Amino acid sequence: MARIGLAFRLFFRALSDADFARQVGPVLEGKAVAPAPTDARKVQTPKVEEPKPAPRPVRSEALTLLSVLQREARLVDFLKEPITGYSDAQIGAAVRDIHRDAAGAMERIFALRPLEEAAEGSSVEVPAGFDAGKYRLTGNVTGQGPYRGALRHGGWLATKTQLPEWTGTAEAASVVAPAEVELE
Amino acid sequence: MAKFAIGIDLGTTNSVLAYAPIGEESPRVQVLAVPQLVGPGTVEQRNMLPSFLYLGTPQDAASGAYDLPWAKGRDFAVGAAAVRQAADVPTRTVAGAKSWLVYSRVDRHSPILPWNAPADVSKVSPVEASRRYLEHIVAAWTAAFPDAPIGEQHVVLTVPASFDASARELTREAALAAGLPENFVLLEEPQAALYAWLADTGEKWRRILKVGDTLLVCDVGGGTTDLTLIGVAEENGQLELRRIAVGNHVLVGGDNMDLALAHHVQAAFAQKGVELNAWQAVSLWHACRAAKEAVFGEKGPKKHPVAVLGRGSKVIGGTVSVDVDRDAATELLLDGFFPQCDIADKPARRRVSGFREIGLPYESDTAITRHVADFLTVQGEAGTPVRPTHVLFNGGVFKAAALRQRLLDVMGKWFGKKAAPDVLEGNHDLDYAVARGAAYYAAAKQGRGVRIRGGTARSYYVGIETAGLAIPGAPRPLRALCVVPFGMEEGTEADVPGPEIGLVVGEPATFRFFSSAVRKHDKPGEVLDSWKEGEVGETDSMEANLPLPETAGGRGKGGKGATAPAPETVEDGYVPVRFHSRITELGVFELWCASTVNEQRWKLEFSVRGDAEK
Repeated sequence: MARIGLAFRLFFRALSDADFARQVGPVLEGKAVAPAPTDARKVQTPKVEEPKPAPRPVRSEALTLLSVLQREARLVDFLKEPITGYSDAQIGAAVRDIHRDAAGAMERIFALRPLEEAAEGSSVEVPAGFDAGKYRLTGNVTGQGPYRGALRHGGWLATKTQLPEWTGTAEAASVVAPAEVELE
Repeated sequence: MAKFAIGIDLGTTNSVLAYAPIGEESPRVQVLAVPQLVGPGTVEQRNMLPSFLYLGTPQDAASGAYDLPWAKGRDFAVGAAAVRQAADVPTRTVAGAKSWLVYSRVDRHSPILPWNAPADVSKVSPVEASRRYLEHIVAAWTAAFPDAPIGEQHVVLTVPASFDASARELTREAALAAGLPENFVLLEEPQAALYAWLADTGEKWRRILKVGDTLLVCDVGGGTTDLTLIGVAEENGQLELRRIAVGNHVLVGGDNMDLALAHHVQAAFAQKGVELNAWQAVSLWHACRAAKEAVFGEKGPKKHPVAVLGRGSKVIGGTVSVDVDRDAATELLLDGFFPQCDIADKPARRRVSGFREIGLPYESDTAITRHVADFLTVQGEAGTPVRPTHVLFNGGVFKAAALRQRLLDVMGKWFGKKAAPDVLEGNHDLDYAVARGAAYYAAAKQGRGVRIRGGTARSYYVGIETAGLAIPGAPRPLRALCVVPFGMEEGTEADVPGPEIGLVVGEPATFRFFSSAVRKHDKPGEVLDSWKEGEVGETDSMEANLPLPETAGGRGKGGKGATAPAPETVEDGYVPVRFHSRITELGVFELWCASTVNEQRWKLEFSVRGDAEK
């Protein structure tokens, strides 16, 4: 009895639905049912895939560097404080510690070294066609080069950039230092 | 197939992992950069992992602030972030669990740390804290070398030489739980420091040291002082190093010096009329750590400023500072910790009042020179103290040249200027020496390389109650039966001769257990009726459980795999046994009870639950 129902359903479906007829046609010839063609009207079965991890919140590396210097040396507190009212002795006393800790953090992260190793004041040669980002000429600047002059500043070169990795939340991305609350 | 030799220094204040690829002629040892939290939500790689554990709130876990690349939803932090928390939130931070492993008055498996924390903090046991430090290091290794799992490498873990068998067993337990391979080796820290020197010196060491030389390894770290004597002997025409003796675990170190300087500076502040609150006092302690290094640094101005920065954002406005006279500070630290003394001096044992807060037994006498004097005297034969020919310095405190020089001066006074010991100079960084030495040892163990022979650092005894007339109210006098002689080699075992002991069936048998770092000539089976004060110290007791004999078909429910003794051996509920001691290849100590009437044996385990009855 079920076959009569099936037969009728197939009859009417093949008549009304051209895609269905195309699909089922090969069955009459003994071939397997062709897969349903993708159709904008048909609902696409969602592919089962790994839920993609939520994208990690991004924070500017500059803010990470600033928060390192604040956490280890309290450099931001120092720069934000108006120091006009204080005596040199008062400022000096605190700055020694800030200097030591900030210098330590900076050395650990960048390991800065002078571009030019020669002593300041000694005579150095700058090659022709030098990179303007590496050398800055002052004074009587004429001619083509190579140039010979006195070294006034050795420059600084970062030999590495090893910032800590920030794994916080998106809300805290702009936080340089958290607010501190002491509980009784 | 092991590709790396790994050395792990599980320190009181800092832990380090060093490694070297296996198969190289002279192993090239490097230190692993360990990623760790330096603040909430910030991970950085550092060469040292501070042995600090911060136990966060459920809030912290939910916020993800303490997540690591290899773990999410963490509610605790190990490393640099925890050090900061130790200053600001001391009740939730565990600062170094290592020294607790030796302390037999507490149950080291029960959650007692942080000591005196409020009720809602989920505390951890000293063993658990140690496991977490090691677990972090193991995870850092796996992240750096995913193709070389630590379970397949040759791993050496260091312990203080003064750790007795029970403390070593607990360290082993924490290490295995953290993922170290079954066959990892425990190495003593002073030996590791000497291996680091050997690695740096190379073959030249045979020209520097001669047969008959004695080395004193003096290791003063953040919280502890460890002394070891190593002798140079000859075997088969080759120079060989042998560990002669170790000292006690003395809880004096660089932290004490920082605190002493902080007290001195606090007095200077009080003179200026500045009263420091609790936060400033802690901040001052940390400032004095840096001040101590400056005080002992190269020649500088006569006055060294020490500042406590203001709390809050007014860092300059809130700063209080005072000038510290460099000479006064130097004198304070030198005379407080390395005073001139005589070789016969003993560390002062202050009488303790009747009630004492239970906590770590911090040393009363901070004079490290007196501890060294006591060690050399006590280890000497026939009343003459040992005269070391060379000294190897280890530990952060000895970065200061002035302190090394002072100890040498004091030793020069003891033995005469001509006979003062030479210093073993090395270019090794004192922070990493122990881990690097352990890695070198792990690599050398595979074949070539020097090995320091040692055996056990102590002799061990079991307490036997005397069979005699009982006096009401007085405990039975105890005799000590030697079961492990001093210097028993790894991979050997020995029967303990002597009369049989009767073990009660069905009840746990507990034996009080003693050790001595000083008695070197006792043989297994010797019974001590009495001993001089300080010669023999009690440690965790050992126990075995012999279950009641079951009827056929049932298995006794004895603990620790004990099997029921066969019914025919049970007379009046006693099984006659003798002791059998064993030191495995890995240096693990095992004590067995062997029945004298059949082949059954039962292993005694350390009872580390703490001795409430004492």
